[in-house]
Amino acid sequence: MRTTRSKKTTPTLPPALKAIANSVIEATLPNGMQVRLLPSDAVPTCSYYTFFRVGARNERPGITGISHLFEHMMFNGAKKYGPGQFDRVLESNGGSSNAYTSNDVTVYYEDFMSEALEKVIDLESDRMRSLQVTPKMLESERQVVMEERRLRVDNEIGGLMDEELSSLIWKAHPYRWPVIGWMKDIENIKREDCLEYFRTYYAPNNATLYVSGDFDPKQAMALIKKYYKGIKPGPALPLVHDAEPEQKGERRAEVRHPAQAPSLMIAWRGPNGTDPDTLVLDVLQYALSVGQSSRLTRSLVFDQELAVGVSVDWTWRFDPGSFTVVLELKPDGDPKKAEAALYAELAKVAQHGLEPRELEKAKNNLAAHLLRELATNNGRAHALGTYELMLGDWRHGLALPIQYETITGEQVRAAAAKYLAPERRSVVTLVPLSEVAS
Amino acid sequence: MKKKKVDEVPKLRPLKLPDHQVRKLPNGMTVHLVPRGPLPLVAVRLVMRAGSAFDPLDRLGVGDFAARLFRRGAAGMSADQISDTVDFVGASVGGFANEENVIMSLSTPSKHFEPMFELMAKVLLEPDFPENELELARRRTLAGLTNDLDDPGSLADRALVRATWGTHPYAHETIGGKKDITAMTRDDLKKFHRERLGPSIAHLYIVGAFDLDEVMKTVERTLGGWKGGPTEGPIVPSWEGLARPGEVLIVDKPEQTQVQMRIGGHGVRRGHPDHFPLVTMNTVLGGGFTSRLVTEIRVKRGLSYGAGSSFDMMSVAGTFTVSSFTRTESINQLIDVSLAEVKKMKERGPKKEELATVQRYISGLYPARLETNEAVSGAIADVVHYGLTDEWISEYRERIAAVTVKQATEAAGKHLFGGERNIVLVGNAEALRSKVEQYGPVTVLKPSELE
Repeated sequence: MRTTRSKKTTPTLPPALKAIANSVIEATLPNGMQVRLLPSDAVPTCSYYTFFRVGARNERPGITGISHLFEHMMFNGAKKYGPGQFDRVLESNGGSSNAYTSNDVTVYYEDFMSEALEKVIDLESDRMRSLQVTPKMLESERQVVMEERRLRVDNEIGGLMDEELSSLIWKAHPYRWPVIGWMKDIENIKREDCLEYFRTYYAPNNATLYVSGDFDPKQAMALIKKYYKGIKPGPALPLVHDAEPEQKGERRAEVRHPAQAPSLMIAWRGPNGTDPDTLVLDVLQYALSVGQSSRLTRSLVFDQELAVGVSVDWTWRFDPGSFTVVLELKPDGDPKKAEAALYAELAKVAQHGLEPRELEKAKNNLAAHLLRELATNNGRAHALGTYELMLGDWRHGLALPIQYETITGEQVRAAAAKYLAPERRSVVTLVPLSEVAS
Repeated sequence: MKKKKVDEVPKLRPLKLPDHQVRKLPNGMTVHLVPRGPLPLVAVRLVMRAGSAFDPLDRLGVGDFAARLFRRGAAGMSADQISDTVDFVGASVGGFANEENVIMSLSTPSKHFEPMFELMAKVLLEPDFPENELELARRRTLAGLTNDLDDPGSLADRALVRATWGTHPYAHETIGGKKDITAMTRDDLKKFHRERLGPSIAHLYIVGAFDLDEVMKTVERTLGGWKGGPTEGPIVPSWEGLARPGEVLIVDKPEQTQVQMRIGGHGVRRGHPDHFPLVTMNTVLGGGFTSRLVTEIRVKRGLSYGAGSSFDMMSVAGTFTVSSFTRTESINQLIDVSLAEVKKMKERGPKKEELATVQRYISGLYPARLETNEAVSGAIADVVHYGLTDEWISEYRERIAAVTVKQATEAAGKHLFGGERNIVLVGNAEALRSKVEQYGPVTVLKPSELE
């Protein structure tokens, strides 16, 4: 076991970030679990995050959606705290919980009054040690998840398009199926699949714990050691092969569905989260879409009026992800024109890069965004944990503004030219069926 | 003999409230200052009692439309110049309306406070409403109104507002409707700006890392000369009751395989003496993850992914709503379970253990509602707007903790709907109609009727 107060911080961090960096206490438990404590006494509450390195990426056809279904099962009872007890005990101790599943990770968190810290450690370690998956709870939760899928995908236009887009971008990689899973797979996931999943991925050596807020770090560390001590490490994780073949040209699909207006989702294959180009694409994403003066918003929404809204999603992923532009059109909007105008704007960046002021603006916004993320106990634990999982170390997250500062206009130009090329893109168009026709 | 272990209740740690100072400018504007760190950020909120409830009937949405246009051209600066100035430093500035207020907000890194505040003041005092920006905003807003019809959840909320408030001003959609937006002129916007906004009805909240004296100098220099507008905030008339009690409204979306459900009834105004018993009781009924509605609808029956109930409280009246959704074939089960749970609560109230659980739940998490500068400014603004006192915040946890089973039961009996309620459904009307006629007279609407 090793416990260290962080000293390896970069001296050039601004004071507010430096103070956060200096407060972090780190430990690795003998069973492999990573622990990070972020004490701060601004409000008498804490946030408790448990990150597992498992998501839809670790699934296979036939059991798609198991990561997400499993996330639900984590609230349905363990050895000490049985079915329905987790939230009941937590709420009666002044806390609340939630969780989310992504392509790469599954994340659980609790916000609670500081006095309940030991109870939360007890609850979380209980389910990591001895989760129970009973047939009855599994059946009930399966129905809930199917209803969630109806809400978020089957009856939601953005969900339908997104599902179509992923299966267009990726042919072989598990990123091709939706995190919530295909309906038939959700219907057919077996209890044995869940149990195997738990043994493989929910072991302490695959978990990273972040606690932030008003608590005594010495006492907290002692409690964490005490409660998690008996939990045995799991086997080495099965590797995920990135078998994705090279894309040889543009891919297109249509979604025909009752809707008021057409819309477009266009994605280009990007690098993975630790690639140096990832930060360059962060800058590009901000320059293109953050604020009313951003390139695409100004050009497509205000100047040419070809769209009513533009957003750009560039989410870091373990394996190469996608740089996605969503164009919301007017009811009589022309998707062909909007698409052509988008490509014209992107071609300008690929040719001439960004204006120096645009570049600096993007960097200022990225730095301000980081500060706002760190304003709450919950935000600090989530942000630093996410940075650690994605970049390998939370320090890299706090140092991001310094990293962004070094990015040049030429780098942004080169990244736009390389990644936003026509042969790397996939396009999904929503073709509206009218109210009457449906 | 084994002694029954008493579940220990953790004590509340004191809530450290930031120091809140109030200054009044000679022109009548009230300034609330809350200096707090540690992050170098500042949040500003300017609240004026000029919300959609006070919009004239032939120009609903004028306040929201105008407020959103403030930053699209002011004091001779173009929309692009303003946007570029704000975006460059990583700040944000915006205006919008809710039912009772028009609100301008600014969020900025501390080191850029002065120029950003100056810009916000310009945008507020001297909007130009350029014709081209007006037309552009009109086209975008109309498109947005139409596109919103694709979202079943927001359609349900919109239909419920109509069925609930009827001709009362709280029925005014904050962004207006198709007819209003089409008719909006530059003169309407200028008139709104001139006649309905002014320093006497304005409260300015500044929260974050700043130097108090410096900031006051900036405020006085930029907004000290603001003049005109109303001398008193307008009053919302009282409410006669549900516009369509007992009715069932279906918004027809034939392609839906899922139905959005809202059951609405009377609630209370903000600051009502029953506030704390009601909030506590409602958390048992439909608040957190272990509420009765979630347990009965999601956990026991797998009918839905989500279910809850809420009180929406405004100055003179409020509503109580149960919300959920389910697959079309389960709609009766969902409505029956929801109505039965409300009825049970109305007749028998919460159990002692249930009440104790939610009291700790609400109190324990309350401080987390005051973590960001934006949250602090919002909480203080609510206290001022609804005529409450600072103890509303500083003693919130204690007041929740003091609620008794008797008080919660009485409040449930008095305020939860019995016969007086309406039901709104968004889904496939053909499949739904015969199933739901048992709950009251059914009216079917097309989504476009809610545009």
